[in-house]
Formats: sequence, structure tokens, C-alpha cells
Amino acid sequence: MKTAFFNDKNAALAYLLEKYQISGTGKINGNCLETGGRNIPLLPWRQERRFTELKNLIFNRTLEDVSTFRFASLSAGAESLDELIFQELDLCEWLGASPVSRLFAVFSGDLAVNIIAKLENGISASVECSAMLPKDAAPLSRHEIIARRGVASDQVVDVQVPQSSIYTYTAEKTECFTDVDAEIFGLSQSDVHLVRAAFKVLSVPETAGEWMAQDSHIKELVNEAKQSEANSKPSISKAGRKS
Amino acid sequence: MKPLKIAIMSLTHGHTRKYYQTLKDNPKLDWVAVCAENETVREVFEAGNHGVPCYMSEQEMFDRHPELEAVVLASANSEHLRQVEECARRGIHILSMKIPTFDMDEYDRMIETVDKAGIICQVELEMHYNPVVHRLKKLIAEGAIGKILSVQATNITLSPVWAFPWQGVPEASYGRRIALKAGDERCRGGALCDHPHIFDLIRHLTGSDIDFVFSEVAPNIRPELEVEDMLLVNGKMKDGTVFLLDPSWSRMEERLKVPGPGWEVFPKRMEVNLTISGEKGVLVSDCFGPNVYHNGAPNDRYTVQYTYFDEWIGLIDEFVDCVRNNKQPLINLRWHRQTIQAMNACYDSICNCSPVKVN
Repeated sequence: MKTAFFNDKNAALAYLLEKYQISGTGKINGNCLETGGRNIPLLPWRQERRFTELKNLIFNRTLEDVSTFRFASLSAGAESLDELIFQELDLCEWLGASPVSRLFAVFSGDLAVNIIAKLENGISASVECSAMLPKDAAPLSRHEIIARRGVASDQVVDVQVPQSSIYTYTAEKTECFTDVDAEIFGLSQSDVHLVRAAFKVLSVPETAGEWMAQDSHIKELVNEAKQSEANSKPSISKAGRKS
Repeated sequence: MKPLKIAIMSLTHGHTRKYYQTLKDNPKLDWVAVCAENETVREVFEAGNHGVPCYMSEQEMFDRHPELEAVVLASANSEHLRQVEECARRGIHILSMKIPTFDMDEYDRMIETVDKAGIICQVELEMHYNPVVHRLKKLIAEGAIGKILSVQATNITLSPVWAFPWQGVPEASYGRRIALKAGDERCRGGALCDHPHIFDLIRHLTGSDIDFVFSEVAPNIRPELEVEDMLLVNGKMKDGTVFLLDPSWSRMEERLKVPGPGWEVFPKRMEVNLTISGEKGVLVSDCFGPNVYHNGAPNDRYTVQYTYFDEWIGLIDEFVDCVRNNKQPLINLRWHRQTIQAMNACYDSICNCSPVKVN
């Protein structure tokens, strides 16, 4: 059987819907899914295997009594600083299974921010975000979870940058590739996660309402982070909700 | 498309549990039954609450489910010929584990039996459904590094023998009790029998056949095993490509009866890495990485938690497509024959301490 090669997100979504006989339809537009007259915000990182496995490590009690998250996300400006903060704060709440109760952020304009957040269940989190990588640089990120029993990370020990599955070295260039999904092979990692998120919304319909509420909530948190900078004091989250 | 009614036979192969989720999720399949090799295996299966009837005899399963169209042969290698013949007699399609048999007469009898019955027999070499291997094939085909000159590949794992004891029994794994070489108490049937993937991959990636192999066994790192656990292989393809393969059980394990968390002693329980040198450059790849990492329960050891282990989805998709549309699978018995010959040639090389041609 020939390997299907996808270069279009919506074609890949249609393939999955047909294969798994899901009756809903929708179209991915930006970071949203247009379906049934609604525009559902997607939380694609929640479909990213490294994060689902980190969540499993907490949920299955491989890690016991989580204390602190140390998260970092650096981009070359493809995503705004607000988008980076949004993703990382959602990850804090989703992995910690608890809403942020307060946070204090220090911004360097709209280019970099360092945040310390506290979840309602007591977990602390540091979040470093920067949109200062040079153009064309691959995004960098690190997610470390420190628990009373065990540390988990999406970075292998003793390295500073993410690894790839394949590296090619030729006289012209060095390239690297990481493919994470054989069913919808060909898409970039970010597109794979968008398609999987859209598929989740269509195959588990209650996800739509949950993600819409979370989208509003995290947007408020991003504003509260800015308020903390403006007021030079921690913001107390007004919109606490279970993630 | 009508869902394919499928069962799993024996449940004693290490890959068995990988199928459970796929058989449940894929709407093209209707998972009808399983039969267990023994009571212990049945208890482990039933603890998983899969909602699928488990029989203690193949006969009873077939009698109770005349609607069965296909089976996964998840059994010891020594059972395969008998089970293939039984399935062929009933016109049931077969998804075979990675070693149909090491006996080439038996192997040819399997081909003949399958041909006569007009059934599909796909051999489970799951690496072909791995996204990194998809990319690897694409890059090579597009000439990213030019014509391949040299391949080094690892297919190294922990040893599954404590959970799947037949893999340490020469008669069950290799099919017969044959000493590795004069003066060596160990027999054929260990790590090599568990790792055909890289022999197969070099054939696919080069588009060439294996010309000759040379192999050496090392002292076992598990001295109590009757079979080899450490060996190395090198050789040449017919197109001149040279290769070096490591198909060892070089990653130590906790001796669990049922695989699960804490199986690893070395952090990464399984690795398939390839370094390919071509006329235009070099490619290095890790087919199971990157991942996430932890040192939590149960043993507080640094451990790789795999993020991709979905090869069975694509493999089953191909199997259903082949059955429903009467196509030959990529890894069919005829294609796979030379891979088995090459593995036998490795054992012959160990025995003779010389390179062995693969016919």
C-alpha cells in the first residue's frame, strides 16, 4: 500500500474523518475549526505526543506529587509573544489539572517575558517566552516537570536544544526532519497537531465547548500577566476554572 | 467496506498487545475472538477487559466463529506452519509475526499452501509504517544523499524472554536445536531471531539483494540463556553497498512476567538507528526519537517514554486493503524469504567463522 502524502491540512482532516467514520465536517482556518456555523478555537499542543505523554506520566503516577513546572518557548516571530504565553499557560493548567490562581510577569516589550505562576493546587510554574530567535531559526522549547518522585522532560538529559529524528549532511546544507504521524504523513509537525486537534473536536463533540471556555479563560490570563507587569504586582486570577 | 472479522491466535508473541487498541479503533475491523496458548496467557488477556471472548483451543474458536475471515498469528515461531496450514484449510487470511519459519523447506511449503488457498499472508514488519522510515525512504528516493554506499543500523532491544519464554527456547524460536558453533553450548534462536527489520530495511533502501554476510557472536550478557543475545553482522549488498548491523539484545531488562513500566534497566528499551553514507552526503536517523524522559516510578531510573509507537495502525490498514482488494502486501512471504535466508546465513557464518553467500 502506497504511503499517502499530505500537504494540505484539510485534506488530512477529511481523510481521518472518512477513515474513522466520523459524521461531522469542518474546515481548519488559522488556529480555529469552522464547523456547524461556529468557529472553535483549537488547542493543538494538547494533541502533541510529547505533552500527552508528559500528562500520562503525571496521571499514571509515574511522577508523584508534582512541585514545579519549568517551561520555555522561543520562536522566530512566527507566533506572537501573546500566542507563546497562551500556549504555555494552557499547558500549565492542562498538565497540572488545576487553574492558575496568580501570576507575576516581567515583559521586555512585546519580545520577551518571564512569568512565575501558581496553580490552585499549589504547583509553581516558570514560563520563559521569547520571540527573539533569528528569522528561519527552528523554534526551541523545553518542558520540565519536577516532582517529589521523579523529573520528566521533553528534552533528553545534557542537551540544550531539541533533537530531530533525521539529520542529513551534504556539501550544500545540513537539514533535519522530525515526522510524528504516519497516518497523515507529509504535514509539518504544527499542521499535524492542528489536524489532530480538529479531529478531536469533531470526534469528541464536548471538546468544542470545553476549548471555547478555556480559550476565553487563557486570554484573560494573558491580560492578567500584562496587568501584573503594569501594576508591578502579582495578578490574582479572576477566572479560575478546572482545566 | 464491510469490517474484516478478525481474531488473534495464541497471544504469546511480544507484539500481541500492540494490536489491541488498533483492533478496537479501526472501523474496518471487527475483532471477534482470541485464543490463548495457556491459562496464564488467558488470565493476562482477560485482566485487560477487552470484551472479546477468549478460547483455550483454536478448534473451539474456529467452530464458534465460522464468520472469521482473518487472524493475527501471535504465536511462537514453531507453531506457524501448523497454524498457516489450518488457516489455509479454512480460507482464513493471515497476518504473520515477523519470522514465519527459519526452515526453508517449511517456508516454501507455507508459500505453496498460501498460494493454493488463495489467501493473503502478510508478514508483520512494522518499521514500514513508522513515520521516520517514511521520511527516510522519501529522502533516499529523492537522492538527498546520492547513491547509497554504506549502511550501519542498530535494532537493539532488551530481551523479551522473561515475559515470552519461547523466545529463549531454541526449538520454539529457531525451530530446531542447533549449536551456534563447535564448543559453544548456546543454540540458534536468540536476539537475531527477534530482529529481522534492519535486514529488510537495507534491501528496501538500496533496492538490492544481500550478497554475503559475516557474523560474530559475543559472550552473552545474560549467561543463563540457551540462545545468543549479543552478535554483530557485516557484509555487502549485490550493488556493492557495505553494511554493519547490530541486532542484539544489548539493553538489560528487569525480568518482568508481563511487560510494563519499569521493564528497562538501560533508559531506552528499543532502538532502530541508521547511519547511511551516500555519494553526496550522510544521513543519520533515529526511528524512535525524540521522546520524553523521566526518572519516576516504579524504579526511579532515567527512562525513555516513547512518544510514537503506532506502527500497527498502518500495518493493519494495509492488511485490510490487501484482503478486501486482493492485493499482495509489501512484506509478503516471497519478498521476506531472502531476509530469512540472510538471517540463516548469519548463523552459518557464526558456525563456520567465514563470510556466507546469500542465495
